[in-house]
Amino acid sequence: MKIDLSRFQAAFFEESAEHVTTMEEGLLQLERRPDDLDLINRIFRAAHSIKGNSGMFKLTAITEFTHLLENLLDQLRTGQRTLTKPVMDALLESTDGLKHLIEAAKTGEAHDEGRIAILRERLTGGAVHIEAPPVAAVHSPRASRRVKIEWTPGPTLFQRGLDPVQIVKELEHVGRVQTILRGLEALPALADLDPERCYLAWTFVLDTAESDQTIAEVFEFVREDSQIVMEADAALVCPSIACDSVTPAVPTGTSVPSRSTATGDVPPAMVPNPAGPVAKKSDGASIRVDTEKIDKLINLVGELVITQSMLSQLGNHFESPDLPVLQERLAQLERNTREIQERVMSIRMLPVAMVFNKFPRVVRDLAAKSGKDIQLILAGEETELDKTVIESIGDPLTHLIRNAADHALESPEERLALGKPAQGTVRLSAYQEGGNIYISVQDDGRGLNRDKIVAKARASGIIGPDEQLSDEQVWLLIFRAGFSTAEKVTEVSGRGVGMDVVRRNIEGLGGTIAIKTEAGQGTTFLLKLPLTLAIVEGMAVRVGSETYLVPLLSIIESLQPSAGAVKTIVGKGQVINVRGLYIPIVRLYEAFHLEADHTEPTQAILIIVETESERVALMVDELLGQQQVVIKNLEQNFHKVDGIAGATILGDGTVGFIVDVRGMLAISRGVAVAA
Amino acid sequence: MSKTVLIVDDSATMRQMVNFTLTGAGFTVVEAGDGADAVKKLTAGTKPNLVITDLNMPNMDGISLIKEIRKMGTLKFTPILMLTTESTDDKKKEGQAAGATGWIVKPFNPEQMLKVIAKVLPS
Repeated sequence: MKIDLSRFQAAFFEESAEHVTTMEEGLLQLERRPDDLDLINRIFRAAHSIKGNSGMFKLTAITEFTHLLENLLDQLRTGQRTLTKPVMDALLESTDGLKHLIEAAKTGEAHDEGRIAILRERLTGGAVHIEAPPVAAVHSPRASRRVKIEWTPGPTLFQRGLDPVQIVKELEHVGRVQTILRGLEALPALADLDPERCYLAWTFVLDTAESDQTIAEVFEFVREDSQIVMEADAALVCPSIACDSVTPAVPTGTSVPSRSTATGDVPPAMVPNPAGPVAKKSDGASIRVDTEKIDKLINLVGELVITQSMLSQLGNHFESPDLPVLQERLAQLERNTREIQERVMSIRMLPVAMVFNKFPRVVRDLAAKSGKDIQLILAGEETELDKTVIESIGDPLTHLIRNAADHALESPEERLALGKPAQGTVRLSAYQEGGNIYISVQDDGRGLNRDKIVAKARASGIIGPDEQLSDEQVWLLIFRAGFSTAEKVTEVSGRGVGMDVVRRNIEGLGGTIAIKTEAGQGTTFLLKLPLTLAIVEGMAVRVGSETYLVPLLSIIESLQPSAGAVKTIVGKGQVINVRGLYIPIVRLYEAFHLEADHTEPTQAILIIVETESERVALMVDELLGQQQVVIKNLEQNFHKVDGIAGATILGDGTVGFIVDVRGMLAISRGVAVAA
Repeated sequence: MSKTVLIVDDSATMRQMVNFTLTGAGFTVVEAGDGADAVKKLTAGTKPNLVITDLNMPNMDGISLIKEIRKMGTLKFTPILMLTTESTDDKKKEGQAAGATGWIVKPFNPEQMLKVIAKVLPS
């Protein structure tokens, strides 16, 4: 029965992608620690694994190319070659080439042979020969003949787990065997016999039509420490070498590169990393799970939470002597449900390192392109985030880092002239605080230029010529669409299409982005993200007969205003004066076309919310209390409604809408919300 | 009663493929991710009738694992097969010196693996 391993190809591609990442990260670290032997071994093993596995699926292009990478890495670890810049570049670009080969194999498309050929040259210094696999020897059928085999095994035969009986059994598959026992004279007295030692020998007389090679294969594993003499009837001794079994050959290596290494120095001996092997999280048992399964599970848990919440509410209204017991049991149910929810959510949490790990390469390439010296420091990579958030923050972070490298950081000459170290630093860190994850992108470059930003904003008509703005408000201008003060539009950035998208991405995830900057010192972007997307802590409010939820994250305070605090500003509608700051009022009943109990702010409740560093006062009839709810996305079935972020099922079984605070801000400005 | 095979390889894909091949042939398979993991499982009580191990692994490589296994009383005579990408004699010699029974060269097709296993494991 032919066993088909093609079902494992998907696993191979996934695993190989991980190995390539290991190689790339390892190489970047190797650049800074070229003598770290453990590191080289780790990179080598990754390449070796890809090579070994790819052969199982007959992906020869990958096997051969990885073999070349392996050779070069091996030369590095034995000290035959030094890690010069050209070598490092060749390795990194070949890792890219390997990525390409794997991708091509995955999609079934032809790979770019020109690109691979060039890389092949660079890896081998021009001396490549890929050996054609030896043609399997053809054995013509022979007539049956008699072969005499004298086998004298070494004394340690058993200690290698070998059993002479197996040899005989296998010979019996080759032909008819007669066994003659020899070596009895070597046996000591029983008292001196070492049962773990092999004293005996055998002579086999074999009648077979099989080839000498087939016969020799039987003894393949014992040949090393045995004496074997084979005689066919013409007294022909079969030399052991010619009887080696044929195994598929992998290119056995290339000749030493003809070009000498750049420095010509004796390569320094490799030493194991004195700091000890880099600690790796131990490979605990784990299984791969389809994300679809997890999403369904999370959805179900969400429903469970809603049902439990409804039950709890019901429990509050019962008239029954059993009520205290019931309420106790319901409280227990709530605790259990909460815990399931937390644990299921955590299944989707991944360390933010998954996003961070691509940046060293990005920074390296940017630095090389711009001629700047840039150091990237990563911190808090083990901080965990929901998978969806991780997948979505890659782009915004890339943009911020590119901006830092391209615009914020000065050239080494400029920096030295300013008394700064020639090397610029970008620091990317993540940490958890409260119910949020914070990610900060910090550089020690120029800092934002207030005057330039104001000038550009004025020129674009974003702000009036005499408008006075606080520093904070000025920095936020850079998030406006089309805004960029970059003098040069580089290939990477400067077109002004980035920052507004960055902010929108972050806020779309339920997060916020803040800026801190100091001229000449540097800039820090601080992203605040919720731990998880599916759950919202909200304040339930009543408007007329409808219940809405306002995300707690955005609420600053709630109040009932006095008459004197409410003012009307021409062109801006009603505002409320809160400690000197005038905040526009949004009447929710107006926004949602409802009938409310109160139309006068002084009789209603105002909830002050904040988004994009601006505040809005939402007018509602009554505060109902804090609730944690599961967000149900509406957009699959309905058009997006301004001001609504989603819906949930409340404790009493009715549907409650979750207020989109950003949408409220836009409504207050009288501007339509961008999709 | 089916025989137990311990497969030691740091590649999850390879372990899956060997597991699939052997389970289909009626073996019970135990997996380990590297030499250290294998030693842990063996000392915890796994009693394999055969060990198949890769050579290039982190934490403890194949040759070291073979030496360790040969030190364990009950496993002194258990067949051990090396999974190697090299068909050169060096690795084979090194393995045999450490106590390996034989080898399977990567890449292999599943039938070849079963054939080699039949060679060293009494059925």
